[in-house]
Amino acid sequence: MDFLFSSFASALRLIGSLSPDVFDAVRTSLSVSAGATVFAALLGIPLGLLVGLSDFPLKRLVVTALNTLMAVPTVVVGLLVYGFLSRQGPLGVLGLLFTPTAIVIGGTLLAAPIVANYSLASVRGADPRIVPTALTLGAGRLRAVATLIGEIRYGILAAVIAGFGRVVSEVGVAMMLGGNIRGYTRTMTTAIALETSKGEFAFGMALGIVLMMVALLVNLFLNLLQQR
Amino acid sequence: MYRLQSIRKCYGSTVALDIEELTIAEGRLYTLAGANGAGKSTLLSILAFLTPPTSGVIFYGGKRVDWNRGSVEEYRRKVTLLHQSPYLFGGSVHDNVAFGLKVRGIRGEEQRRIVDRALDGVGLQRFRDRKARELSGGEAQRVAMARALALKTEVLLLDEPLANIDRETACLLETVIASLPAQGTTVVMTTHDPDHAGRLNSDPIFLEGGRHVLQSLR
Repeated sequence: MDFLFSSFASALRLIGSLSPDVFDAVRTSLSVSAGATVFAALLGIPLGLLVGLSDFPLKRLVVTALNTLMAVPTVVVGLLVYGFLSRQGPLGVLGLLFTPTAIVIGGTLLAAPIVANYSLASVRGADPRIVPTALTLGAGRLRAVATLIGEIRYGILAAVIAGFGRVVSEVGVAMMLGGNIRGYTRTMTTAIALETSKGEFAFGMALGIVLMMVALLVNLFLNLLQQR
Repeated sequence: MYRLQSIRKCYGSTVALDIEELTIAEGRLYTLAGANGAGKSTLLSILAFLTPPTSGVIFYGGKRVDWNRGSVEEYRRKVTLLHQSPYLFGGSVHDNVAFGLKVRGIRGEEQRRIVDRALDGVGLQRFRDRKARELSGGEAQRVAMARALALKTEVLLLDEPLANIDRETACLLETVIASLPAQGTTVVMTTHDPDHAGRLNSDPIFLEGGRHVLQSLR
């Protein structure tokens, strides 16, 4: 137990001293996660709404595919994108492998199915009277759908936050596509994995604490919005 | 106002509505009666242009209704349907009553004046800034009525507006509804209460098993 307590104390000191390595990993993590979440939201929200609001022959198949994509292991996504971005891959010429952009691409593919599924669930769970009410008050079809989105906005927000949670906490994509380059593509999760394997348990714990604090802040923000 | 000819609405193999002929005259109040499943709500939904019939023809204001998207949106703006358990949007009472006005491009002082007058009509002016979701069932019903009245549409369709509310609210809404034909509004209201037709001095329409069995004009 002494080991854990002393490591925890060292971790707090590292956070308090604003260690550049900790700071860099936090900054990289937050920036790539935010970027991936934005792109995942741009893809996932319209997809979820479209599937939720329309009826088409292969709808059940699409929903099943979206559900399956949520469970795809991060390393599989990493492997797939690696194949495209590696020097021999079709997009190798862009030179994106081992850059923050590569992590953003992988993160987007990880988070988009989550955002889409949560958005879809929000539409399905919405009060069925919303659209007819808007229509009978004179709204056109688009306005009625916009009203529906407004009414389920907290569900959509939860979808985006769940997507962010998936990206900020994953290791596989960041490790395979970012390469864990110190001060450049090293994220909190890859740094935790690396430093712990090197025996720098306190450093890993410091980043773990920051990661938990980020998760806590994001959830507090969501709760605050829902109470308004 | 409306003329329905050979209207049928089917859900799969079930015929929910089968009306050979029905005329609804302008500026009158109709009570639409029938047992549960008689097709009352289906008929209201068709009259509100929310659901197209499976077959048949509807004339509105003498014109044959074309169910394409653009035409239907135009007709919908002339008619408002108030559900038995109406949905109030998130936001304030004012936001709710102003919804249809915003859609019609009515904003600013004019919008405020119309909203206040509509809320006053149902005795809720002091509720203007209250959160709609915090209202009781009766208050919510009155807000929904104000929201419909604010639009001054040609037709007001009411799906059991007096069910599940307290007696005081029911009396107030009954008075408001009874006053509408004199203002030129055509009202069609579903009810289970056989006394409503007489009390509201209305023309009764009876449905049975989706069929229109009686329409007596005063």
